[in-house]
Amino acid sequence: MRRLRLGLLSLLGFLGILVSGAMAQSNLTYELRVGETGKAAVVDTFPGTYAGEKVNISIQPSAISHQASDSLDFVFVDRPMPTLESWAEQVYAFTDSEGTDWTVWRKKELPKNRKKRVLVQNAYGAFEQYLHASIEVKRSRGWIWFVLAGLMLAGVAAYSIVTVVQRRKEKQLTSVEQEMLRRKRMGMRRHYGSQLYLWLLLLVLYAPIALIAVFSFTESKILGNWTGFSMQLYANLFTGQADAGLNSAIWYTVVIALIAAVCSTILGTLAAIGIYNMRARQRKVVSLMNSVPMINPDIITGISLFLLFVALGVSQGLATVCIAHVVFCTPYVVLSVLPRLSRMNPNTYEAALDLGATPAQALRMVMLPELWPGMLSGFILALTLSVDDFGVTFFTKGSGGLETLSTFIYSDARKGGLTPELRPLFTIILLVMLTALIIINIRNNKQENN
Amino acid sequence: MSKVLQIFSSRRTWAWPYILFMALFVVLPLVLVGVYAFTDMSGQFTLRNFAKFFSHSEAIQTFFYSVMIAVLNTAICLLIGYPAAYIMAQEDFRTPKVMAMLFILPMWINFLLRTVATVELFNMCGLPLGEGALLFGLCYDYLPFMIYPIYNTLQKMDNSLVEAAQDLGANRWKCFWKIIVPLSMPGVYSGVVMVFMPTVSTFAIAELLTHNNIKLFGSLIQDYITTTDLLNYGAVLSLVLLIIIGLTSFFGDHDASGEEKGGMV
Repeated sequence: MRRLRLGLLSLLGFLGILVSGAMAQSNLTYELRVGETGKAAVVDTFPGTYAGEKVNISIQPSAISHQASDSLDFVFVDRPMPTLESWAEQVYAFTDSEGTDWTVWRKKELPKNRKKRVLVQNAYGAFEQYLHASIEVKRSRGWIWFVLAGLMLAGVAAYSIVTVVQRRKEKQLTSVEQEMLRRKRMGMRRHYGSQLYLWLLLLVLYAPIALIAVFSFTESKILGNWTGFSMQLYANLFTGQADAGLNSAIWYTVVIALIAAVCSTILGTLAAIGIYNMRARQRKVVSLMNSVPMINPDIITGISLFLLFVALGVSQGLATVCIAHVVFCTPYVVLSVLPRLSRMNPNTYEAALDLGATPAQALRMVMLPELWPGMLSGFILALTLSVDDFGVTFFTKGSGGLETLSTFIYSDARKGGLTPELRPLFTIILLVMLTALIIINIRNNKQENN
Repeated sequence: MSKVLQIFSSRRTWAWPYILFMALFVVLPLVLVGVYAFTDMSGQFTLRNFAKFFSHSEAIQTFFYSVMIAVLNTAICLLIGYPAAYIMAQEDFRTPKVMAMLFILPMWINFLLRTVATVELFNMCGLPLGEGALLFGLCYDYLPFMIYPIYNTLQKMDNSLVEAAQDLGANRWKCFWKIIVPLSMPGVYSGVVMVFMPTVSTFAIAELLTHNNIKLFGSLIQDYITTTDLLNYGAVLSLVLLIIIGLTSFFGDHDASGEEKGGMV
């Protein structure tokens, strides 16, 4: 019964994949439609454009200049235009219902992540009327569905072969053995099912990351275009030949993270000692205050600090970003130091004072050795929070051109492309984290075994 | 001198720098949001900003849409995350630590970069960008925040209660709904809060995932607050968001959520 259900389910899934694959296939042609004028319908391939993307055409009575070329992606002209050749290539020509010959030019390096801008230009350089039209560029990579379907089919086939073979073997067993096997398998199958669920979830979670990692080994400017294996991006990253903005963003990210982590560790440790020694009511108030930056989403923290700096008339830059990062990092340091405090003997500090140590000496020689694991984990937490932050940095960085990695990626993505060297950078970060995790795990296991 | 030393030998005072810092950079800015919301450009008290908000249908619509998306995303994360946490917390599950780490590891990659990669993935599979992509991306970004607290509470749960229920004749289904689910509610609460709050205030992700076609409340706030003339109106929108956040954290147990988050590394 169970097996039947499983078989039916996989069959259904397989059919679903096939159907969606077929549906994806049906719009494999790229469509370019100047819709609302009804004068021209164009079907053509535009390599490098997006699937299912709607292209908005705004027809403006302005001349094409090289300055404008950055903001334009397609140009429709009704006469030869050699000046276009430096940044665009001719991809299509058609005649509309009024007998005018049009050529379509496409920017050579078409950005992917934004709406395409189109300019239509006629022989007189100006338009008699404004037109609103839309171009639809549709494309799908139907083969992905077929690969998936194939994989699934292979899985189902393998599973059924294995079960058939197993059944034959089982028939030779005694009934008691069969019953034992059945019980064992019931337990195992539950386990397999849940394992499968987790692994599927992980597969989905890691798919985009795998995409970044895979495409870090090719030179293509656009994520998703494979232009052959190459380590060039890694080389660029390490020799500093990457985009200057990226280099400074990496530099600022590291500097800000270190400053914020050091400051918040010092501030947070002192605060934790203070809070620990407070009376219950005071402690409650301060803990509440401590939890406010953790509850606040980063946009609120960012905006409120932004308003503070505006009200104070402080010009925003590195200092304000550092302060903002200390604000949201310190609570976590406090929370990671407090448990260490409650675990240590509260009398040792006083004993040190009684024996003639100054508070500073007692702090350094008695408290710190006990507290440092908590401080270290707080420090690491602060580092990662700071590196990962986008919202707070975005509102406090000012307009002086200061960018951290997050804000750099954001402005990059909004511009359309993604600086290719980001791919190897994050692949390396992921690998480092993965290795660290594996090492920690092995160590923990060893400790447990001992 | 000795007096100064005396003050600092009382460790209670060591928290004062932090308290001052917090007062200046946490409490005061939040108060300022309110102040800006109730004043106009020249600093005069006014309610016009609020009047504008209530007659600004785009803002109200965006607000409700964002709340809806956040609720939907939280529900999806709960539906997907609870079984995962439950499986990981089972006694016969052998590698819970590795699994938990594997779920957290993607968070080390910058979330904007992951979002861009998600967009690319959708394009490769020929899937359209839009609401579906938005929900997928949000769920993808915040799922670990749901799994981890639930996993923590389930793991700390006293298993003898489950055994007792089984001994008293509860079947697995009943045992799950009457024992395990109620006992895991603290984790669910903090998971819900930790997913809902960042989702309702999210900005930047939505723009990337929908090609600027869908605007969420966070992006709206961002637009207004970065425009100098409309700063006060932006403050009103922030205040609205702040109220939502306040209400949510009132329902969730914030101390627990802090600890869970703190324990993530």
